[in-house]
Formats: sequence, C-alpha cells, structure tokens
Amino acid sequence: MRSETAFDESLLSGYLDGELTQGEAQRVRVHLEDHPESRRLLEELAAMREAALTTELAVPEDDQWDPRPRGPFSRLSRRTGWTLILLWLAVVTGLAVWGWWTAPVRWWTKALTAAIVGGPLLLFLSVLRDRLDVMSTDRYRRVQR
Amino acid sequence: MTTGQAGGADLVVLAKGGDREALDELARRAGPKAYGFALQLLRNREDALDVTQEALVSFFDHLDRFDEARQLDPWLLSIVRNQAYDFLRRRKVRAAESLDELLEQGVALPAGQAPSAFDRVERDELRARLWRALGELSSEHREILVLRDYQDLSYLQIAEVLGIPKGTVMSRLHRARRALRDLLRAGGGFGNDTEASRDHAQ
Repeated sequence: MRSETAFDESLLSGYLDGELTQGEAQRVRVHLEDHPESRRLLEELAAMREAALTTELAVPEDDQWDPRPRGPFSRLSRRTGWTLILLWLAVVTGLAVWGWWTAPVRWWTKALTAAIVGGPLLLFLSVLRDRLDVMSTDRYRRVQR
Repeated sequence: MTTGQAGGADLVVLAKGGDREALDELARRAGPKAYGFALQLLRNREDALDVTQEALVSFFDHLDRFDEARQLDPWLLSIVRNQAYDFLRRRKVRAAESLDELLEQGVALPAGQAPSAFDRVERDELRARLWRALGELSSEHREILVLRDYQDLSYLQIAEVLGIPKGTVMSRLHRARRALRDLLRAGGGFGNDTEASRDHAQ
C-alpha cells in the first residue's frame, strides 16, 4: 500500500459530482486504487445519486395553484396603497395624541384614557417586536422535523 | 427570441418590463420547480402546494430585486426554502406520504435505457428506501441532498441557496450522503445486499 497523507473522504463526493480540480481528482483515483472500502462507498453513493436523479415526482396541473404573477402596475399600486395606509395611520395617530394632550379634562381622566389605550398598544408592540426578533435571528437552524 | 425560448434571466428582464407573456412563462417554469423542491422538503402534497403558492407570490413580488447576472433557479429555490421553513415553524405538518403516492406515473425512458424487469424492481426499491431514509435525516442534511441529488444543482448554486461558502458544500454534502447511506444499510442492508447479490452472480 502506498503511503499517503490523511485522505479527506469528502473528496469522494466532490469526485462523484465532478467538482474537483484535476489534482484533487488524481489524488482520489490514486486513493481508490488502494482502498476497496472507498471504492465501495463511491459505488454506493453513485447508486444513491442515480436513484435520486431518476425519481420523477408528479407535478399537479397548472390549475391546482394560482401563482398570480404580478405585473409592474399591480406591484406599484400595492406599494402605493400600503404607503397611503401608513400615512393615514400616522396622521390619525398624531391627531389623536394632539387631541388627548389638549383636551380640557382633568389630569386623571387623561391618565385613565392613556392607560386604556396604551396598555393594549404596548402589549401589541411587545408581541410584534418578539416576532420580528425571531424572524431576524437564526431563523432556520433550530428547525427540525 | 420568443418567450418560450428565453432563458430564466431573460424572462425576468422581459417580465420586469411588463411583458405579460414573459410573466406567464416564468410562472409555468417556476411552478413545477418550486413544487418539486417543496415536496422533497415537506414530503406531503398539500403542504407542498401551500408552500409553492406562498413562494410563487413572494417570487413575483420581489422580481424587481432579482439581479439578472445571477441564475434564476438558486434564487427561486432559496425563496421556496425560506417559505418551507416558515411553514414548518408556523404550522403542524401533515404526515409524510410514501414515494408511490408521489411518483410520476408512466415516465418514458430514452430508447436503449429501459432497464430489465429485475433492474427496474431493484431500482424502484432503492428509490423507495431512499425516500424513507431521507425523511429520517436532519433538515440540514436533507436539504443539501435534495438540492444536489434531486435538483441537480452545482456546488456553487447550492452555496447560493443555502447561504454558505462553496467550500462547506462538499463536506456537508458528504456527511449527509454518509448518513443516508448508513440509514439505508441499517434499514435494508443497502450495501450488504448489493455486494451479496454481486457475489452471488459471480
């Protein structure tokens, strides 16, 4: 058996997939000459790949899904719609805060109103923030079926 | 060039310009590709259809962000992948279906490649075992195997879909293949069977 430095077995996959450089592929060929267990592993990986590649899954008819391709106009109108809604929300919120602040009522009435509106609003914002945090950090690593 | 002959990136250029035919053609091409990948990840037709719907809507919504210098398939598949994992987090998945229920019936092989009845049975059995074993792998291993061995993406394209360096693809893929091979051996003696039958034939 020829002496060789430690062989990186993942090169077998690269060899099978034709993703190696010439030098790496030559190294694999030399290794395979002396290592029947690696030859067998390569054969098995090749059989698995062949079986996978020739598996034809049935695709539903076109009418089973509705991809609804959107043209530039519908995209633009959707964005404009969202922008207007957000603008409206900002104006209404601003007016409400102004009205609350300048209303000629006692301070405890204002505090009560603020608590009634502010409580659910804070809860909503905290849930929203949690959801955004989950979405933005490590989204898929913990997903196991 | 007609829309039917155009490549994926060309179609996107046409579609961005408002060409309705190009949009339809993109939908025709993207739909089956997205569905196939979703089905391989989720292993259930209903779930795969739901995810395909969401992925296609997202795909067309963000079409104007697509860089035409890139290839379309990795981009599409990365959208499907994200939608599939969001789906897994949000909802309880339905039971996996067997390969028999999902297979395309009556697929014709090119002339001269038709296997003998024995080969066909053996190959069908290996495919079914592979499908079952695939369901037992971690999602990390399953997705890389599906991208390479079922979707036939290059290492560079896989790196793009998974957002990992190209150098990591080979090692992760090999670990996944070994894990799958070990499951096959444990489940039905994949390696032992092939060797035994070869010895027997000799």
